[in-house]
Amino acid sequence: MAVVKVDVLAQSVAEGPSLMTGSIPTKNWMDVPAVFKPGNYAYTTKPEIQKYLDSQKGVSFPNAREWNPEDDDWKLPENWKEIIIQGIADRLDRFRSLKIFMDCCVRCGACADKCHFFLGTGDPKNMPVLRAELLRSVYRQNFTRAGKILGKMIGGREMTVGVLKEWFMYAYQCTECRRCSVFCPYGIDTAEITMMLRELLHLVGIGINWCMEPVANSNRTGNHMGLTPQAFKGNVEFLCEDIENLTGVKVNPTFNRKGAEVLFITPSADVFAEPGIFTCMGYLLLFEAIGLDYTWSTYASEGGNFGLFTSNEMMKKLNGKMYAEAERLGVRWILGGECGHMWRVLHQYMDTMNGPANFLEVPRSPITGTVFDNAASTKMIHISEFTADLIKNGKLNLDKSRNAHVKATFHDSCNPARAMGLLEEPRYVLDHVVDNWVEMPENTIREKTFCCGSGTALNTDEIMELRMRSGLPRANAVKYVQEKHDVNTLACVCAIDRATLTTLMNYWVPQVEVAGLSELVGNALVIEGEQRQDLTEGLRTMV
Amino acid sequence: MELKEALTTKKKEILDLWIERTLDSYTSPGFFKKATDPFANPVGSNISMGLTSLYEALASGEGGEAYTKSLDQVVRIRAVQDFTPGQAVAPFLELKWVIKQVFSADKKTQPLLGALDQLDCEIDRIALAAFDVYNQCREQLYRNRVDELKSGRSILTDSACPSALAREEQEKAQ
Repeated sequence: MAVVKVDVLAQSVAEGPSLMTGSIPTKNWMDVPAVFKPGNYAYTTKPEIQKYLDSQKGVSFPNAREWNPEDDDWKLPENWKEIIIQGIADRLDRFRSLKIFMDCCVRCGACADKCHFFLGTGDPKNMPVLRAELLRSVYRQNFTRAGKILGKMIGGREMTVGVLKEWFMYAYQCTECRRCSVFCPYGIDTAEITMMLRELLHLVGIGINWCMEPVANSNRTGNHMGLTPQAFKGNVEFLCEDIENLTGVKVNPTFNRKGAEVLFITPSADVFAEPGIFTCMGYLLLFEAIGLDYTWSTYASEGGNFGLFTSNEMMKKLNGKMYAEAERLGVRWILGGECGHMWRVLHQYMDTMNGPANFLEVPRSPITGTVFDNAASTKMIHISEFTADLIKNGKLNLDKSRNAHVKATFHDSCNPARAMGLLEEPRYVLDHVVDNWVEMPENTIREKTFCCGSGTALNTDEIMELRMRSGLPRANAVKYVQEKHDVNTLACVCAIDRATLTTLMNYWVPQVEVAGLSELVGNALVIEGEQRQDLTEGLRTMV
Repeated sequence: MELKEALTTKKKEILDLWIERTLDSYTSPGFFKKATDPFANPVGSNISMGLTSLYEALASGEGGEAYTKSLDQVVRIRAVQDFTPGQAVAPFLELKWVIKQVFSADKKTQPLLGALDQLDCEIDRIALAAFDVYNQCREQLYRNRVDELKSGRSILTDSACPSALAREEQEKAQ
């Protein structure tokens, strides 16, 4: 339970201003305007990107324009207020959860001190309860009888440009990690409130480019990077060459092959950017070692889905390619790589949005015969489940000494942990591929894991300071095990983590590198016929 | 009372006031002050621990290297928060005021008020060292940005779509 209550926190006043620190006497939160300055907001969507997306079937992103959050005038459409209020009305009608979340919060404050943004900034509007209140106050004023009569007296407020600016500020200071929801006695999913805020903002043309450009790329070429099929295939083949140089194992993945048993889909960052590429090399080695009959798709070439951070229609559209490709290629089931938010979409939304995928079979490991009934409905399983099952059935020859350079700890990525309950499998795998690894403190792992601080498309360099402070709670726990146990590797199962935790570690705990779990599997795998060099740093070794 | 003895005797009072004032520089300091679990409250606990060990190094006259780790513990956080560079390192200079405040409240330590020049100089040195740490932190942030660019992580948005480029070239050629 929170140490202090929200109202107290929100209105606490420092006793006398500090001599030199310029301590700010705190006003009622409603009276503190959002001030945009370089470094505290992500760049806005490029108009050409937004126009392209708005032209696409099934989605709507109107009011594309050049605008700057620092300007007073955001060049909003004339009837912006009606658009927003109507937008709320539509969503209250469509999403019962939103209506419940708007009504049922009793402001107990249990969530207040659980958000990494609040813990890193001390800004009361980053307390989940208050972030939700930004929307709830407008809801109260416009959609409840008491609010219509009593207004501000019961916490209602008019929708103004100032409120809209506040929404933009704080909807993009939430990574939809859902840690707060774990502590909410009513189970309010604050991520869904952020999702609604972002949807509402898109109605009047407010969004960020780091989200919308990957969305546009994904819509066009299938992946965030905008890689063409040739480039995607070329990148994977580069990695195969590296694998051959390092291990003497020739890996021959196939692309868009009809009739393969399994379709493999992973974040495109795995085939493109360090350190994800080492994870990808791990997948390739694993599949080679067990002789898996699988194919990549150069269109379903992205596990990530930034539509989740944009609008539900966009999420559905981007997700559609997975089942579409599975059906086109005639595979039996889908195997998914290490990604975070991808798994929230797959596990909680895909079946409803684009299913049922009756043309697929319940995933069954061709190596062990295990049937994954847990994915009976989605027909898609996580690489950690798959690998853990292989290990449990003794199908992998693993040499832990090949990870002798690794002293690991494990970061539970928010979505696999909280949205699909993937807690034991990665740990089981880790137990079998490294000699020793340690857990971070109890209140920073598993369901209570701290976010990397850069999810939901906040992984952009113009807000580097914001990312570092929101990532502090995670880094602080890593620092503890680094100092206590000399940990040098932060293992995880998420592509955004691999990118952002690397940056986060460079700032807070430079002794620690970030590695995908499958990279560590790849390091430890003993494969028949290999001619492995002395890889002192595993697949990262420069030879 | 000797200065060194006074710094030891008054340690708790000085630290309480110093930590309180430092945490008051945040918009909502209540939580940072009260929550004691270091993993649930990284800002409050790191700043409290950092200032405490810094004060101990000062009071014991260890100085120099002993300051670095404690300063890092505090400044690394403040370097990425919503402070100007001056505000970020101001708490260290404020220690002078805090000590005088505490000493002036007790008859036994009042006589020391006129003999704090050397201590003030040492605190100035700490503040300068803090400024060095602050700069290192900021430089690391810029290196982070460059590293992200180099690693390809930024290619998501900072490069043109290859297929769009190919199409444009085709159109130009026609």
